[in-house]
Amino acid sequence: MSRPFLGFGLGLRTEHYQHVIEHKPQVDWFEIISENYMVPGGKPLANLDKIREDYPMVMHGVSMSIGSTDPLNTKYLQNLKQLIARVEPHWISDHLCWTSVDHTNSHDLLPLPYNEATIQHIVDRISQVQDFLGRRMLIENLSSYVSYKNSDMPEWEFFNEIAKRADCHLLLDINNIFVSANNHHFKERDYVDGIDSDRVMQFHLAGHSYNGEMIIDTHDHDVCDPVWELYEYALQRFGAVSTMIERDDNIPEFAELRQELTLAEKIAANTLTPEQLKITANHLMQGAA
Amino acid sequence: MNELRNLQLSFLHYLLRQPSDMVEHIESTPAMSASDRLDIYGSAYNLRLKEAITTDYDKLHGYLGDEQFDQLMDCYIEKYPSHTTNLRYFSINMPDLLQEQAPFNQFPVLAELARIEFAFANSFDAESTDVSTIDDLATIAPEQWGTLTFEFQKSVELLSINTNSFAIWKALSNEETPPEAEQLDHPVKWVIWRRADLVSHYRPISLAEAQTMQLAMQGKNFAELCEALLDFYSEEETPLKAITFLQSWIQDEQLSALG
Repeated sequence: MSRPFLGFGLGLRTEHYQHVIEHKPQVDWFEIISENYMVPGGKPLANLDKIREDYPMVMHGVSMSIGSTDPLNTKYLQNLKQLIARVEPHWISDHLCWTSVDHTNSHDLLPLPYNEATIQHIVDRISQVQDFLGRRMLIENLSSYVSYKNSDMPEWEFFNEIAKRADCHLLLDINNIFVSANNHHFKERDYVDGIDSDRVMQFHLAGHSYNGEMIIDTHDHDVCDPVWELYEYALQRFGAVSTMIERDDNIPEFAELRQELTLAEKIAANTLTPEQLKITANHLMQGAA
Repeated sequence: MNELRNLQLSFLHYLLRQPSDMVEHIESTPAMSASDRLDIYGSAYNLRLKEAITTDYDKLHGYLGDEQFDQLMDCYIEKYPSHTTNLRYFSINMPDLLQEQAPFNQFPVLAELARIEFAFANSFDAESTDVSTIDDLATIAPEQWGTLTFEFQKSVELLSINTNSFAIWKALSNEETPPEAEQLDHPVKWVIWRRADLVSHYRPISLAEAQTMQLAMQGKNFAELCEALLDFYSEEETPLKAITFLQSWIQDEQLSALG
């Protein structure tokens, strides 16, 4: 498979709007949190439109609740479709999780039991979403802190199988692999080795925090060395994959975050060839996924 | 899917602190019990919702102080589980809670402060529309004036205030000590809206202008607005007053269409 490569991006955050609009810093692309722009109008959408003029974008959602046993939220999907028409992103993603049930939202990314019944349930729902949106989506692996007694397969097997059967793509969060490997006592490289390379479309990198025995996916620190090492390993396995850093709390100045992104660029440059790292998609193109 | 549904309902009940058998579905590890592992989600649920409320009601937080605001948030989270996919809209019932729930309802200034903050949040991201201009007004033929109706842009909101909540809000915005809360002799009307430069504005308006604006928002035409103004002004004064209001709405970029 020829995977489109956007280069190296950052999560667009309100704290950085002014800097990005005024200085147009060099970043290959931005990822937006879809729900932040599912509002009627005003400043959020005006800023989004302005920044979109200068940068390619992808959309990342937190509320699709693809694993829920409630019916799919059609109003949410309609709003998402409207936003897609406005942003013309290269692709859209959400998490392999559930966030709401009984029409009540936890506003958290809650894990699923890894078994055949869940796979079939989610495959059906991703297919419905992809049919409705008229495009493929990416699903992302979580950080999780519990494991269910009725899980009977490793997470990567579950993740892969869903992507294969639903014919969707994967957003591989390198930090989440590291966090969950610690919390559930598996080897992070086994996870990377177990993923079908053809399905991987994007990487996330982020920082985390320690809470006793558990690592919590807080997105409030720099990316740590073991996650950079795992990133390098993932590049060796998958080749060039569009990569971005997520920062959601304790957000530094834009320049500092941009500096952190150069680490990803350097690791990729040391691991892959210039030919592999040639950007194959720009902001005039859309709908690569 | 019954097994998955029951699991999700149990998890939700655990987060909502309702009776739940969730612990029985979770693996314990030598270092951490199932219950401790689940508590990570329980704490995160509360923290995330409190963060959203704190963002939306910054001045109310400042006025109540940390401890009482935290009690208020606990009360809100228990009473209004989220039914929205967007955290932006989670706390929209806060003014209602403050108006209805003891002990908060004994202090009317609290619900008003929340209404003010809520109106500003709405003005921030209300639907963007074109605004009418003085030139649009000039194109109205004399015979059309009587039946002329007015559409306000979506960010315009009228508030009726019975306490000095606006003075308290202003002081808190300027990081000054707010005045003591007090009841006003008469309700005061304020209008909050967003101009085309995306900045939110507010100003107090007279009862006559507020009533005219309210009727115009309901679709009453210019002749009907003038008639209603007779409660406030003489027959001679009324048309000029109505025109003055209309001009200020246009200058303030509050009108989106003349029809």
